[in-house]
Amino acid sequence: MKILQPPLPKELDAAQALRYMGCTQKADPATEALLQKAEALLRPAAQPHAVWMECPVAELPLQNTGSDLARHLQGCENAVLLAVTLGSGTDRLLQRLSATELPAAVAADAAASTLIEQLCDEIERELRREYQARGLYITGRYSPGYGDCPLALQSVFAAYLDTGRKIGLTVGGSGLLLPRKSVTAILGISQKPVTGYRAGCAHCVLQKTCQYRKRGVSCEQE
Amino acid sequence: MNRNDLFTRDKYVLLDGGMGTMLQARGLKLGARPELLSITEPEMLTGIHREYVQAGADIVYANTFGASAKKLEGSGYSVAQVISASLACARRAVQGTGALVALDVGPLGELLEPAGTLKFEDAYRCFQEIVIAGAQADVIVVETMTDLYEVKAAILAAKENSTLPVMVSMSFEQNGRSFTGCTVESFAATAVGLGADAVGINCSLGPVEILPLAQRLCQSVPKNFPVFVKPNAGLPRADGSGYDITPEMFRDAMAQYLPLGICMLGGCCGTTPQYIGYLAQITKGKAPQDTKPLQRSLLCTPVKTVDVCDVTVVGERINPTGKKRFQQALRERDMDYILAQAVDQESRGAQVLDVNVGLPDIDEPSLMEQTVKALQSVVDLPLQLDSSNPAALERGLRAYNGKPIVNSVNGEESVLRNILPLCKKYGAAVVGLTLDQSGIPPKAEGRFAIAKRITEAALAAGIPREDIYIDCLTLTASAQQEAVVETLKAIHMCKQQLGVRTVLGVSNISFGLPCRTYLNTAFFTLAMYEGLDLAIINPSSSEMMAARAAFRVLTNRDAKSMDYVNAYAGMTTVSTLQAAGAAAPAVQDAAKGSLGAAIEKGLKSEAKAAAAEMLKTMQPLEVVDGHLIPALDRVGEGFEAGKVFLPQLLQSAAAAQSAFEAVKDAIAAEGSASESKGKIVLATVKGDIHDIGKNIVKVILENYGFTVLDLGRDVPPEAVVQAVRESGAPLVGLSALMTTTVKSMEETIRALHESGLACKVMVGGAVLTPEYAEMIGADYYAKDAKRSADIAKKLFGVN
Repeated sequence: MKILQPPLPKELDAAQALRYMGCTQKADPATEALLQKAEALLRPAAQPHAVWMECPVAELPLQNTGSDLARHLQGCENAVLLAVTLGSGTDRLLQRLSATELPAAVAADAAASTLIEQLCDEIERELRREYQARGLYITGRYSPGYGDCPLALQSVFAAYLDTGRKIGLTVGGSGLLLPRKSVTAILGISQKPVTGYRAGCAHCVLQKTCQYRKRGVSCEQE
Repeated sequence: MNRNDLFTRDKYVLLDGGMGTMLQARGLKLGARPELLSITEPEMLTGIHREYVQAGADIVYANTFGASAKKLEGSGYSVAQVISASLACARRAVQGTGALVALDVGPLGELLEPAGTLKFEDAYRCFQEIVIAGAQADVIVVETMTDLYEVKAAILAAKENSTLPVMVSMSFEQNGRSFTGCTVESFAATAVGLGADAVGINCSLGPVEILPLAQRLCQSVPKNFPVFVKPNAGLPRADGSGYDITPEMFRDAMAQYLPLGICMLGGCCGTTPQYIGYLAQITKGKAPQDTKPLQRSLLCTPVKTVDVCDVTVVGERINPTGKKRFQQALRERDMDYILAQAVDQESRGAQVLDVNVGLPDIDEPSLMEQTVKALQSVVDLPLQLDSSNPAALERGLRAYNGKPIVNSVNGEESVLRNILPLCKKYGAAVVGLTLDQSGIPPKAEGRFAIAKRITEAALAAGIPREDIYIDCLTLTASAQQEAVVETLKAIHMCKQQLGVRTVLGVSNISFGLPCRTYLNTAFFTLAMYEGLDLAIINPSSSEMMAARAAFRVLTNRDAKSMDYVNAYAGMTTVSTLQAAGAAAPAVQDAAKGSLGAAIEKGLKSEAKAAAAEMLKTMQPLEVVDGHLIPALDRVGEGFEAGKVFLPQLLQSAAAAQSAFEAVKDAIAAEGSASESKGKIVLATVKGDIHDIGKNIVKVILENYGFTVLDLGRDVPPEAVVQAVRESGAPLVGLSALMTTTVKSMEETIRALHESGLACKVMVGGAVLTPEYAEMIGADYYAKDAKRSADIAKKLFGVN
């Protein structure tokens, strides 16, 4: 098991954050300034923590977790369990802004969602590098809630990683991760090159309401 | 060892080492519940405890760390079963050795409000169940906590349901904060105040990293208050194979703790009986040393401690006295208005906030609790709970997260008798007013006599001297000019002779006289010179804040005038006359731009100024219907057409909201009630805490003149039903962002239908569709905030 306190990604993917804010076309300068302000508030408030461990897939209770995850882990005997959080300071900031400065809250929320994904990407890259150095390959990360995989699996990952004690990450009653800007995921490990299968839209819970699909694209493309 | 000898400091008390470590070495699988082994493998548990006793442990922690109802859910065993089995294992191991058994109470595993969904009261009930089930233990240990609010729930549950001693320890990161941001000092001030018998630090770090934190802890507790540490066996090794400190290194590192005045030691993750054996070696035949406390006057929230060693500003504005708009906000339970006051005062340099929500015809106890919870979800400043109603104070004190101050008691016997025990129980500091049943003594000596009586009563009630604040009372110079110096003289006497802190509401001095600021600043400066510690003032007054800054320079408290220069470098002072002249054109400028343009551009202060200007010549309704709403409509149409994006819509909404504030002020000043286009109840459903979407809808609905009763987030169905029943609102808006919480939405709609209420329900949130909305029984699906306003307008027949 490894506990990390990774730095925040140096540069916010502003284009992505603006999309989360609902800007489907080029944003006006005021909106861009709003995002910059929100990012400036967010950076000192966030305390990124991560924990990961390797374990045999067979030891994980993955019996009733849908076909998408099983397909993703095909050919992998071992897997990395990963949990990443931006910490409770982020939640405090979002809550404060939500009560006092709603436009900034929307921007900070979008920036935080973007940063946690970027941070996961960075950690995943580093893991891939480490495993490749040992002659092994890992799949992309797969999180509970993707496709037909139930959100409830989050509690299992959290328990295995002892996330409450290790990084201050808990799972609330409805499968909600707290602090809110957090991710749990699993990455398959294999002797052969693997990529895993992203769940795709077919089983996605947002299939009918997805803003991307309405515009004829998918979240992966953007 | 007798449990009464635990804290006598005659000898070091040794605690045990890691339990999880020992269990894993015996084959415990990852993700399994270690507590169940007390039932399935009792011999193994007893064996582990026995090893620790043989190594020298005076207290063994029973295997009850995760034995809460929440964590045992689905295990097939009850809290009582697991706890009694675990205590029995430990009891067998200590038989005949003199060692004691601790009921080990770990975190519940869910985050408490306001960050999480677990209510403080529910957390209390979980701990209560554990404490009652663990009555056979010798001592209760609350450990590995990271959330101060959870610590409070656990200590209260222990103290109110048991007579056993209570030891409490938290886990910190190297920066001296827990995962939820709680500082070592806040933990110490709060836990000691709540009546913990010992405080400590465990887990998370090794002995080397905890040492400086333990030093801070020892400095933050009263002289020779018991402090304990249970570090891990170092930090996790990079390759994931356990911890990086050997038993010998642990021994050497732990020896460094003895000079701090620590009196109990043990180990946490990664430590084994061998580690504890070394602790026995280094403490053998020795008695704990004295601690070296700093004896500060601290007030705190989890993330912020205020050391009242210098003039400290208490913001006075959360108080309805003489303020119609504030009174209206309290009656409507408009928390946003109160929060705005709080945030503004914080931004202007207030260090503590006074909270007074008393009105003659209001349920003050429940409003106090609601306000305290709302404030601590948004501001980090400690609160001064201001009431003469003991029930209101108790509700506020119980809900408060940290160490607050109570305002106030006075010299009346019955007041002291009723309120001081509350302050003691909840670990609050206290303000004592120098008056009694015969009124305010005219002379300083009379007030000092009352101050002395209050101080003695507070000390007798167990409140330490550094937590006593005496208010020598400001009388108005216009009515009792000769009394002004008596107040100043009394402050001096209290400081010199009683060694207490002092507090004063300053602004009252100038009541009834012109140019009040001149008198306020002069009096404030005099009072500071006599030893005023807590100044209850309006932090929006730049002159008052400047008087404090200047005083700190002149008395050599602001070293090298750093704070002063930081605050005022590059600024020039202006006289009132010049200031008035300079301000006039700005107002004219604002009026030139129309209200509509300001709203469309999303300019808050311009919109407010324009509205205020228009209100001089127009009726409030004319401003709203003729200018404000049409502007919003234009923005809304742009949003629907995809020309205006959400952030712009929100900026416009915020500008409209500030214009509305000007309208509300005008209406409140007239003394009439605001006209409402209709009442709407809004809530984010139970289990869900995503409230930005709901807040967006709220702002837009309010923009259109609807009265929104915002129930907040994680709202249970019955609370929605109750709000609709009490308010008679014909429309309810429900929000849910997760697939798992749409179920709660459905339950809420069902509850509304079953209660026979005639209201309509609109729903929204990322995972909903029109079909889904219909399926769960909603009347309307609102795809965004604009649509929710359209629905409301249609339903209420508003154009």
